Amino acid sequence: MRVGFWPLVGLLAWLILAVLLIVPLGSVLLSSLHDQAGHLTFANYERFLDTPRFRTAFVNTLIAGFGGLAGSLVLGAAMAFCMARLEIRGSRFVSLLAILALVSPPFIGAYSWIVLFGSGGVVRQTLMQWGVFIPPIFGMWGVLIVFSFKFYPYVYLLTSGALSNINRSLEEAAESLGLTPFQRVMRISFPLVLPALSAGGLLALIHSIADFGTPRLIGRGFNVLATEAYTLYSAEIGGSLSMATTISIVLIVLSMIFVVGQRYMSRRNVYHGNLINKPAKRKLTGFANVAAHTVVYAIALIGAMPAIVAVIFSLRRTRGPVFQPGFSLDSYQRIIFSLSDAIQNSLLFSAATVLLTVVIGTLIGCLVARRMTASNALLDATLMVPYVMPGIVVGIAFVAAFNAPPVALTGTAAIIILSVFIRRLPYSVRSSASALRQVSPSMEEAAISLGYSPVRAFMKVTVPLILPGIVAGGMLSFVTAINELSSSLVLYVGSTITMPVRIYIAIHDGDYGTAAALSSVLLALSGAAIAVAFRLMGRDERALL
Amino acid sequence: MDYLAVENASKTFGGGVRALDGVSFSVERDEFFTLLGPSGCGKTTLLRSIAGFADLTEGTITLDGARLDRTPPHRRDIGMVFQDYAVFPHLTVAENVAFGLKARKTPAAESAARVAEALATVRLGALAARLPAALSGGQQQRIGLARAMVIRPKLLLMDEPLSNLDAKLRIELRDEIRDIQKSVGTAAIYVTHDQEEALAISDRICVMNAGRIEQIGTPQEIYADPRTIFVASFVGTMNVTPWDAAGPGFPPGFAPDRAHVWAIRPEHLRIGEGRPGAVAIRGEVDKYTYLGREAHVAVRTPDGRFVIQVADPAPGLRMQPGTPVSVGFDPANALFFDEAGRRVATTRTS
Ligand SMILES: Nc1ncnc2c1ncn2[C@@H]1O[C@H](COP(=O)(O)OP(=O)(O)O)[C@@H](O)[C@H]1O
Ligand SMILES: [Mg+2]
Repeated sequence: MRVGFWPLVGLLAWLILAVLLIVPLGSVLLSSLHDQAGHLTFANYERFLDTPRFRTAFVNTLIAGFGGLAGSLVLGAAMAFCMARLEIRGSRFVSLLAILALVSPPFIGAYSWIVLFGSGGVVRQTLMQWGVFIPPIFGMWGVLIVFSFKFYPYVYLLTSGALSNINRSLEEAAESLGLTPFQRVMRISFPLVLPALSAGGLLALIHSIADFGTPRLIGRGFNVLATEAYTLYSAEIGGSLSMATTISIVLIVLSMIFVVGQRYMSRRNVYHGNLINKPAKRKLTGFANVAAHTVVYAIALIGAMPAIVAVIFSLRRTRGPVFQPGFSLDSYQRIIFSLSDAIQNSLLFSAATVLLTVVIGTLIGCLVARRMTASNALLDATLMVPYVMPGIVVGIAFVAAFNAPPVALTGTAAIIILSVFIRRLPYSVRSSASALRQVSPSMEEAAISLGYSPVRAFMKVTVPLILPGIVAGGMLSFVTAINELSSSLVLYVGSTITMPVRIYIAIHDGDYGTAAALSSVLLALSGAAIAVAFRLMGRDERALL
Repeated sequence: MDYLAVENASKTFGGGVRALDGVSFSVERDEFFTLLGPSGCGKTTLLRSIAGFADLTEGTITLDGARLDRTPPHRRDIGMVFQDYAVFPHLTVAENVAFGLKARKTPAAESAARVAEALATVRLGALAARLPAALSGGQQQRIGLARAMVIRPKLLLMDEPLSNLDAKLRIELRDEIRDIQKSVGTAAIYVTHDQEEALAISDRICVMNAGRIEQIGTPQEIYADPRTIFVASFVGTMNVTPWDAAGPGFPPGFAPDRAHVWAIRPEHLRIGEGRPGAVAIRGEVDKYTYLGREAHVAVRTPDGRFVIQVADPAPGLRMQPGTPVSVGFDPANALFFDEAGRRVATTRTS
């Protein structure tokens, strides 16, 4: 029997998911259900419930998640409203700042906050000299503030898109029916942007739960599940992973509950924007205008502050790990001479990841977009799981699954590449599927009727048409891959160290100049990749989410 | 031997939708054949089965003596014109037209000549080097037509190719399509839901309803001699009235016994008594609609509501609702249908 090309792709997709998702998740689950002696038991879960330390971490995770969500919603919605409906000077610059907040390398964000607002922080010290006392940023409130300014772009980008796509006639109709402006907002505009608002909020919530660097550096005793999992993992290395895997399962279940909850909440409200009658931007005057600009610029600048601080600090003169007055390129010299392995590894791993993601993601994207069978719909749904898995969990799962023969991958470059690949695959599938949905299926049929076999028709017609979208998606995957920290922190060994891991170690060792220089290099690489992507597909910040 | 023969074609989609139900017909070598029917009646499904993009659940299709269902779609040599044009946006107009010739490895010189000829036929010669994005819908569909014709296909399929164009262009382009098809002599199957378009363009029309064929015939047969009440009402306008033996004054014994409804076209009705031998029904004006070239008068009568077409109405003519009028017609123009909707012949023709 001859097997068609697309069924084969479907088979490959399931194989990949089986090996890189189902087996690791199964290993995590099995490990969490076994005690040290290897007996099947719920003891780990009982221990999780009984131990105050874990209970606190669980509650703290919820606080971090919902606190990050609330902060992001407030900041993101305020910014979205101002940017979508008011005339703001320099709005392109503002959205550039939002991108900067989104792609600023992990850890450096938290670190920059410490530099400015820590016990000896620059801003804090200055304020103290003026007689203004603010507590240092450490602890729960610090984590929530950092999360809010780090994750607000998710809410902002999605909501501003929805706000500027509401058909103006709807709001005008409401007005002509006698609704007050407040009623109009509550009854018309708010329900219409609710799906976008909740989707952005979900992203902020999930990232707040998964984030590991911020509570690690700023929490100072405010431990969450992600940090506990890592601590346990580091302590248990070589032995049983049972407690770390138990926490991982709790984290996955928590994330999935939120995803399903958000889907359920916005199940009935899917509205399609009408591009004909877009809302006009209002021009404010006087005090209101100043207030709007202040809000927008304050949020954007504070959000981008970590990246800006990193660049400035990377240029400061240092002696060893200690900053001196004045500026120099010392830090860059040092990373080029002594840390080029991390840079090389990062570039290499990211390139490999992008290649894998683009090729396989495009094939699966075509499958999902064009050949809607029950199996492919299930495939699409299953891909939601790696989408919401915290990086720390992926790392621990890969160790649990691939530590011993038949597949012993720990310590190899492959395991790092594959761990980023599986997390990035859902984005790639989605972006290529949506690129493909823009191409009418009759294009391919036209080519077939003109004498091209289905595979040649696909190559000759569909591929050239979706190529810009795919390359752009690849560039954005590169940004994610090169900035990936949490899974590689679990999976790296000396020879496979990457830039984000190096930054983490440098900050840990107090070598801030090196951390800042490495972060700046990461920023520059990310910026270049984003510039290429925007050039290919037009400027669309939402593609970054 | 028929050129294209579709026999007993049936198609059931997953979920039990029966899109085609025992469809059989044949098309001659240079015939312009139209599938006409309301949206959802299975026209596209039938066309795509012939092209090879859908498989029949049952039935066979033969083209020029060869079983089509055993040939993969790209070897069928069937040209196709799409409703959404499906012009390749990354290729120039000329490259679009040459696309099928490339697959056939036509020598460059011959290919260039045939492309130029095809572009001249659809009057796009001047735009050969342009990208299609900047062209109008009508021009894009001309590219689609040239691209399908240049490979000299055994059969040309068109699925509502004009439905996205505005009314004037639609009429212009349908005449062009008809002329090109006749000059090349390729068999063509044309799908439309527009009955006027079907009448204007076709050698024969196949009227479909709910996956079945209602009637196949020339435009004249379809319009003037409909075999079912569905065809009678779908093609053109028709006054359909329940048959009541005690009703309007048909000559005794004129109506067939099994008559269930009777129908008559607006252009066969007149205001006034009319000639001797004509039937007359009294009623009053319900509504007068002026359309320029003609006017429609709706008249309410005890036997039902009738629309009467008045040709070349005088601009000063007004008909107030409630005005008593009588409606006259020649009984020979009345059509009778039985309970199942099939035509029943009248016993007498005049
Ligand atoms: N892929 C499909 N799956 C299920 N039902 C379909 C599919 N394609 C068409 N149908 C159904 O088959 C019937 C005929 O459709 P179609 O051939 O497109 O009609 P037409 O072209 O005459 O408008 C419709 O009822 C339609 O809903
Ligand atoms: Mg159709």
